[in-house]
This record gives sequence, structure tokens and C-alpha cells, in this order.
Amino acid sequence: MTTAATGAGYDPQIDHQLMILVARGNLKAMSEIYEHRHRSLFRFFFRLTGRQGASEDLVHEVFLRMIRYRHTYEGASGFEAWMYRIARNALTDSAKRHRLESPADEGQMEQVASGRPTQLESMMKEQELALLHKAMRALPEDKRELLVLSRFQGLSYEEIGRIVGCETGTVKVRVFRAVKAMGQIFCQLRAGQLHEEKTW
Amino acid sequence: MVNCDQAKEYMAVSWRESRNDGALTEHLAGCAECFAEHSTLGVIWARLGDIPVPEPSLAMNRRFQSALTALSSEAAPAVEQHWRWADLWPRNPVWQTGIAAACLVLGLAAGANWPHQDKEIAVLRDEVASTRELVALSLLRQESATGRLQGVEYSGRMKTMEPEVVNALVQAIERDSSVNVRLAAIDALGRVSRSEGVVRALTGSLGNQESPMVQVALIDYFADAHDRAAAGAIRQLSQRADVNPAVVERSRVALRELSQ
Repeated sequence: MTTAATGAGYDPQIDHQLMILVARGNLKAMSEIYEHRHRSLFRFFFRLTGRQGASEDLVHEVFLRMIRYRHTYEGASGFEAWMYRIARNALTDSAKRHRLESPADEGQMEQVASGRPTQLESMMKEQELALLHKAMRALPEDKRELLVLSRFQGLSYEEIGRIVGCETGTVKVRVFRAVKAMGQIFCQLRAGQLHEEKTW
Repeated sequence: MVNCDQAKEYMAVSWRESRNDGALTEHLAGCAECFAEHSTLGVIWARLGDIPVPEPSLAMNRRFQSALTALSSEAAPAVEQHWRWADLWPRNPVWQTGIAAACLVLGLAAGANWPHQDKEIAVLRDEVASTRELVALSLLRQESATGRLQGVEYSGRMKTMEPEVVNALVQAIERDSSVNVRLAAIDALGRVSRSEGVVRALTGSLGNQESPMVQVALIDYFADAHDRAAAGAIRQLSQRADVNPAVVERSRVALRELSQ
């Protein structure tokens, strides 16, 4: 599962070994970890914040923290869980500083979704995607985070449990609730849009 | 049979794995509410994958690399000689201007003729290569066969292999308890190194191998390396009474190739 997250098919075991080297003072090994992980971490933050610049800052911060706290790395719960715990803390700290916890402006998210609205069909598809974006943004932070971890980061429910600190069964139920909440918001948004179109 | 609450956990798993557990299928068949929920939310789960995400900018990579370089040099011992160079700098502005102009001219001339080598990049490449080597060696020493296989696979990705890694792979072929690790090591060596020394070391190992698959892989390795020094060991193996007929046949073909 985790290889999907890293993209290039790298096994977490390799990053675990690299991180041991970093912990022993070989900072250049972090360059290799960065190569394996920076895209995946960027996507994680972008899906949570909807902001390119803030996501890039957070990725940078996570790698600096991994270097700063390298001596705390033991690897007992796996590199992946350790890295995501640092990522969550970085996000929480950043949110406190910049009030990111309030729904982000949707400018960048919609820029990503919108392409060339030439055909009616593609316009409708883009509208649906934009609604999905809005629904995602409207989800409470904890639900959005679980959804991102389970749907996009390729982490198993066991690994997510280690990251967020709860039982695997609880993670599954919470993911179910997050998807259900997402579905309800999406339906409400779509109904609202249909209503707007009719009245217009 | 699972109840509606338990079915929620099963649903979360089924969306991820795109398949239904038998217990969930049974529950859905008897519960219209869960059935509707499972299929509607399954569509939402699938559609989430359509949401695009941009790529991080190149500036982010540059920023991290320069931060890493700065942190690495901070960790290195400080050089305390710069004050001496500062003392050599003249205080007279005319001399300062003259030296600066001379440096500029010399720099331009040297830049035009200097071979295009970036020493810093070369040093960085060396450091990354040695890091990879350390990781490969560390994985090759893992207790689990899966870990050692990862080490072999990681070694095989190297464009050039350091002698320590080659040695570790040769040892894996000779001694590893897992046939899969031995086969992968032969494959990795075949992609990177067919030096005379390696062929000689593996020639000695051929007679000790019991797995026909490993024997055939080694014979193929020798044939590809086209090293006639291996012919004796192949012949000896093929004449043994306990050898698999497929190995005998492959030996015959390899000996013919080596004699050409």
C-alpha cells in the first residue's frame, strides 16, 4: 500500500534505512528521502489546505523537522507513521499561526479543476469536480484528514491508526463517516446549484 | 452475519480494495439501506480520485536543497582561515580596483577555456552514491529474506557498483539461505558487473549450488560474460550424476557458446 504513496515504487524499508543514516549524522541521505517523498507530502498538504504556496512551505518544514528531530527516530512504528505525525504537527502549528483551519479560499482549487470549458459535457464534468472540491473543503478538518490519508496517500488503515493514534476498527468507522459526510455535503451543494439554475 | 454497524467497517475496506468481503455481500443482500449507502458512497469514493492536484514547483526543490547544503556545512567543522585572507586585501582603493579588474579578466579567460565540470555536483553525486551503497549494504545484512531481496534490488539500480556491494552480492550468491535472494543477486550482478574477478569468485561457487535454478542462472551469467575460465566448472557440474537434466542441457549450450 505504501508504495503507491511514494510513487516510484520505493519501499518504506529503504527510507527507514536512509533515516537511520540521517539520525547518525549523514544529512545527505535526507536528499534521497526527499526525492522519494516530497511529491506525496505536497499532495497531502494541498488536499488539506487547497493552497500551493502553503503546501510547499509545509513540505519544507516537515523535512527540516525530520532533520532537527532526527535523533528521536527509532523506526519502531515505521518511517511512514513517523513522517506523517511530523506532517500533522507541522500543519497544526501552521494553522495556529495562519488560521488555516477556516475553509481556504477556493481560488487555487478551482483553478486546478477548471480546464477549457468548450464542450457542454466537459463543462458539466468540471462543475461536478468543482462541487467535489467544495464538498471536500466544507468537511470538518479531522474528517478531511482521514479521507486524504486513506483515499490518496495509499496508507493502510493500520498505518493510519498508528498516525492518528486509534484502533484500526475505529479508523474504518471514521473513514466511513467521513465519506458519508462528504456525500451529504456534495448532494446539498448539487441541489443548491440545480435550484440556482432553475431560478436563473 | 454482520450487523449494520459492522457493515460500515467492511464498506470502508471494500472501497479501498475494490472488492466485497463475503460477509458484507451477505449483509447487503438482506439490507436495502446499507446496500444503497454502499453503492452511493462508493461512487463518491471513486469520484474523489478525479480531483486534480498540481505538481510542486521547482523552486520548492531548490529551496530544500540549499537548506540541506547549509545544514550539512553547519555540521562540518568550521574553517578559521578567512581572516588571514582578509588581511591580505589592500586598503588603497586604487589597488582594490586594479585587483578586481585583473580578477575579472582572469575569470573571463579561465571561464572561456575551462572544461565544463562542476566539481560541487561531482562531489554531491559521490556522496549520494556512497549513501546508496550504505543503504544497499545495510539491507543486504537484514535478517529477513524480504529485506535482503530489497537490498539486492536496490543494488541492481546502481549505475556503477562499488567493490563492497559487488562483494556483498557475491557472498549472497554463495551463502544466502534463500534461493530467491541468490537468483536476484545473480541478476543484479549480471546487469552491472561481469569483471574477471567476479566470474572467478562465482565459478568456485557453482559446484556448491544445489538449486537447479541457481545453477542455470549462474551458467547463463558465465555464458553472457563469455569468460572461458568458467568452462571447466560448468563441465564438471554437468558430469555430476545428481544434476538436473535441464542443467545438463543448459551446460551443453553454454559450453558450445564459450568455445566459439
